[in-house]
Amino acid sequence: MKAWVNGVGWVTPAGYGQGRQCPGQPLQSGTLQIPTRKNVFARIDRRFGRLDDFSRVGLAALTFCLRDGNAEDWQEKRPLGIVASSRYGCLRTDLAYLETMLPLQGKLASPNLFAYTLPNCFLGEAALRFGLTGNSMIINRHEPGRLEALRMGLAELAWSDQSGVLAGIADLTPPPELAAEDDLPGSLFLLLEKEQRPDVFSYGKIRLREGRLAFNGEAVDTLLELVAACLTRQNA
Amino acid sequence: MSALGVGPDSLWYGLLDGRSGIKPLSRFDCEGYLSSIAACIPGISAPHGSSLHDPLLEQLAEQIGDVPRHARLLVASTKGEVDCLENACRSGAPLPKAVLFDAFLEKVSRRFALSDCGTNINAACASSTIALARGAAMIAAGEAESVLVYAADIVSEFVFSGFSALQALSAEPCRPFDQERIGLNLGEAGVALLLSNEEYAIRQQQPPLAMIAGWGAANDAHHVTAPARDGSGLIRACLSAFKCAGINSGQVAAINAHGTGTTFNDAMELTAFNELFADGLPPLHGIKGSLGHCLGAAGGIEAVVAAYALLAQKIPGTLGCVQPEEAARGRVSAIPQDIRGEYILSTSSGFGGINGALLLRGVQR
Repeated sequence: MKAWVNGVGWVTPAGYGQGRQCPGQPLQSGTLQIPTRKNVFARIDRRFGRLDDFSRVGLAALTFCLRDGNAEDWQEKRPLGIVASSRYGCLRTDLAYLETMLPLQGKLASPNLFAYTLPNCFLGEAALRFGLTGNSMIINRHEPGRLEALRMGLAELAWSDQSGVLAGIADLTPPPELAAEDDLPGSLFLLLEKEQRPDVFSYGKIRLREGRLAFNGEAVDTLLELVAACLTRQNA
Repeated sequence: MSALGVGPDSLWYGLLDGRSGIKPLSRFDCEGYLSSIAACIPGISAPHGSSLHDPLLEQLAEQIGDVPRHARLLVASTKGEVDCLENACRSGAPLPKAVLFDAFLEKVSRRFALSDCGTNINAACASSTIALARGAAMIAAGEAESVLVYAADIVSEFVFSGFSALQALSAEPCRPFDQERIGLNLGEAGVALLLSNEEYAIRQQQPPLAMIAGWGAANDAHHVTAPARDGSGLIRACLSAFKCAGINSGQVAAINAHGTGTTFNDAMELTAFNELFADGLPPLHGIKGSLGHCLGAAGGIEAVVAAYALLAQKIPGTLGCVQPEEAARGRVSAIPQDIRGEYILSTSSGFGGINGALLLRGVQR
């Protein structure tokens, strides 16, 4: 199972950005700023303002990733999928929804918030904005290296007609009682594609063999290592 | 486990008998909501502070028996132990770890004594269909010899109030594919399916119920909560499944549809199926008139029903469908229909625009 890494984008405590404009490792702990519409889209976008924070962060990272891979603009829908790994999912949105539901026995329950209490909804937001018709799912798996979405994305490419998969992570800062030492709030996606494209210089080739990932022939055990390797190559 | 009781036989014969598990809901006060009915598992309860998933898991583990320790684990649940979250918020207690999927996965993995800590797949109401597809693909690729797919979602006030706020609930038992359908009923279910390769099945001398012969998934890329009216995502998912199985639509004996009973979902499905089966729609049915919409577990339960239908060469009736939509006339019936053929198509669609399709093939027993 293999693919070309053609784009990287993120919203993390380091800020927001994309691989080809990046000075350093974006995956770090710290305080996450929720992006505004102006940070992400130049034009007025009423939908963005209605999104919950989890969706804003995830959608923004997907947007920067597609932009980095010169794949943001589209004419026809395309078979690109999305696999996002998350530890906390839309828990913050769940809590916000419960604040509308619990008083007055549900009479004030917010339909807009409820719509975002499924963590995969931001994948639908990205799909409709960017014409992505591949498979899309959120996965939860305790895996310290945070590479599970990459593994699943590569498997998706191998088993289907999808031309590419956006694979990565998405999380907000959790409530303090649930926080873990290795939390990485924010979202980062890589655009994996079956083929190289003439309009974008690929970061390199990622390969999955017997459960181990290798990037440009070097073993990678964590998402941090993989992103660092992509950015090093870009800046070389 | 479903509103029709414990075990696949009670599910299958309950459906054939036209029984409904949709009943007045007593789990919480429904006064503020559009509906006061749902399809809950009879007799299920949990001590204060624990989740309804606990007795569900216990009973499913007892039913399925031994699962190979090396089996991979795929869980399909949209909200996991959402009742624990609700309880903590009501009481103002700190949030327990149980509100995270990590804890839920650990619980399921431990109960089945698996070495794999498991992965939860969240693709809204298509979660278990996509988990089954993923499990089948892992086996087909030689990545796993066996995969346990565990799908479960419960009726909670959290979800019930949300669907009520979205105006999606029907106050009456739902009517999938009926001209007068006005919305869905929520249901709950848990299902554990052990997938394996042929060698494992032969070694265990356990005749399989069915084979997952093909699978596909696709996004509508249209809207977050509404289906694409042209059914384009579902069509793509089904075409992928046909290609994966190496068959054409003419070889499909019947369709187990998502059939939620909402105006737009059922219309979208009929549009998609009529395009896919341009030479003639095969018999079609939906089971949510009996079981309600079991969210992430729906596709898993429907796969079990599809497997039984292949064995019996019969599909259950679509409870609640009295006056079928014109596009389904003659193909959907409130009573069971005989079928002839090797394949059943089972589909799911969900929020986020996702669609999943499985092709189940009957096996000689």
